[in-house]
Amino acid sequence: MEPININPFYYSISQVFIMKKITILLLSFLFTIISFTAEAQIRVVTTLPDLASITRHVGGDRVDVFAIAKGYQNPHFVDPKPSYIVKLSRADMFITVGLDLEIGWAPQLVQSSRNNKIQRGNAGYVDASEGISLLQVPSSTSREEGDIHIYGNPHYWLDPVRGKQVAETIYHHLSDISPENEALFRKNLESFKQEIDERLNDWQQKMEPFKGTKIIAYHNEWVYFEERFGLEIVGFLEPKPGIPPTPSQLVSVIQKVKNDNIPVLINSPYFSSKSPEVVARNTGVEIVKLATMTGGYDEIENYFDLFEYNINALTESLKNRQAN
Amino acid sequence: MGEQEDQNTQSTSNSGQAVRATSANLNPDISAIGDFRSFYTSDGSRNWDAYVQGVELNFSSAIDPYAKAEFYPVFEGEGGELNAKIEEVYLQSLSLPYNLQLKAGKFRQAFGRINTVHRHALPVIDVPVAYENFFGEALIDQGFSLSWLIPNQSFYQELIVEGTRGSEESPLFAYSEENQPQLLAHLKNFWELNENSTLELGLTGAIGDNEVSQKTRIGGIDITYKWSPIRYNTYQSFEWQTEFYFSEFEQSPTEAINAWGMYSWMQYQLSRRWYLTGMYSYSENPQLVDFEEQAISATFGWYATEFQKLEFGPKLSTQNSFSDSAFSGLFRWVFVIGSHGAHQY
Repeated sequence: MEPININPFYYSISQVFIMKKITILLLSFLFTIISFTAEAQIRVVTTLPDLASITRHVGGDRVDVFAIAKGYQNPHFVDPKPSYIVKLSRADMFITVGLDLEIGWAPQLVQSSRNNKIQRGNAGYVDASEGISLLQVPSSTSREEGDIHIYGNPHYWLDPVRGKQVAETIYHHLSDISPENEALFRKNLESFKQEIDERLNDWQQKMEPFKGTKIIAYHNEWVYFEERFGLEIVGFLEPKPGIPPTPSQLVSVIQKVKNDNIPVLINSPYFSSKSPEVVARNTGVEIVKLATMTGGYDEIENYFDLFEYNINALTESLKNRQAN
Repeated sequence: MGEQEDQNTQSTSNSGQAVRATSANLNPDISAIGDFRSFYTSDGSRNWDAYVQGVELNFSSAIDPYAKAEFYPVFEGEGGELNAKIEEVYLQSLSLPYNLQLKAGKFRQAFGRINTVHRHALPVIDVPVAYENFFGEALIDQGFSLSWLIPNQSFYQELIVEGTRGSEESPLFAYSEENQPQLLAHLKNFWELNENSTLELGLTGAIGDNEVSQKTRIGGIDITYKWSPIRYNTYQSFEWQTEFYFSEFEQSPTEAINAWGMYSWMQYQLSRRWYLTGMYSYSENPQLVDFEEQAISATFGWYATEFQKLEFGPKLSTQNSFSDSAFSGLFRWVFVIGSHGAHQY
């Protein structure tokens, strides 16, 4: 007896089975394409957010980047949480500032990652200080001098010109790992460098009226910024690097500010404001909070914003001081 | 005025790189740690002493792209003398497949939290009485340790299994004349609750032969909560760490002593350099019945830099009853020279 077609769209069981199979195959193919595309991204873990920002510029949509430190965190003292090891275990590339800036936390994480790709000496290990022209390289080293960096001052990313060198280094390592994307990385690199050059003109014009201005800083982390933008840091609240401000040091700084009529004192997001406020109360010096890293303040979303924010904050403060 | 760029520094073009390329960086990282102590106690005929508790040397280096090595020769203070021994010496793989890491040599075993930490790095001067009763100086043995980073994308999980020859430095285990390795397993679970706080939960079990050729079984639970505001983590932090130990010490095929012990400490960072740690510890003795011990202590720490700290504080300890109590005032000075690596989080 023939089946009664009560529904014009009635299909036989075998037809339904075939359609289900085709659907499953199509969905599998689609998910394979999606997962392939997702897996094509190079997983990069950086120590600092500025390295992450530069990597995003150079890598574009070919990179998935995670920065361990936050922009408002002291980069010398990041807690080496085990959760970072999970990220590192899956990374294709690890980028460090180097020069022992992260000696207290990064090596331990990398060695615990069980990830051969990112061990020192392998293709996925990137020391961003490669090729950087360094300042303050000590000719003799002793911890009597405080927490000194024996290979040179490591805060080089605070010079946008050296930032271009960092981008170049990252470009080379990304191209080694993913040669099929070399042309894209090269294009992004050139675009990054061009934008740095254009904006650097603007930043230097803004800073031009204040060239040679003497300032005080909390910690010795501004030497590259100082060199690029023509400032002169004449003293620090720390008597020696890493040693908290002492009463005698504050007295000395207060005297210096008064004698030289120093207009501003720059502080970073992760240092206490107590000692700067003591100096300000005794001298009238203006405290300017500058960021040392991308993400240091909400407005600083990328490497360019870092200099935009700092230059604007500094020039506004210096203009106000001049006006008064 | 602090001179942070003086005649000893120089600007350079790539000379930093040249220094790195030609320096003797094939030498291992070398450090030395001194631990000097002094105390006053109400117990005994001699009420005070001052001595070097120990000197720890560390040599650490990559062997090759596949493994690194750690050497810890120590000089331990005992009765005013310093006696040399090798506390730890092991190699550790850097890049095995499947998220594995293998360690082989002599090492502090992965039991709980404080067993893997060298004493100078603890925030308390005396180790908890529970730890001392269960593990003596430390649970250290020779053999293999295999660690697996469990592929869990939600939180950190690590499983460690160890097979060792039989610890002779711990009161509850011994080297076996039978073909019986000492076995240990530790599961570490770690969560980032938010960017400022973390929670770690560990579970450990160990089994091995003891000095009367029977079995000892020890279980442990460790819980650690840490709070450290990311922005100002050099000025404020808080840690609460607790461990429980449970043991079954077989004296004969038909008799066993069950015991438990615990400690709990809270450390609060008062300011950039000042820390305060309060600790309570309770312990039964794993090898004696009807014995219990308690201690409560407070430790003030002044951390001059990452390379030097001074600690002092009172301690009250009791055995079995308050009539057997002793009051102590403790002092410790720890100092490091050379390039000592970071301690675990």
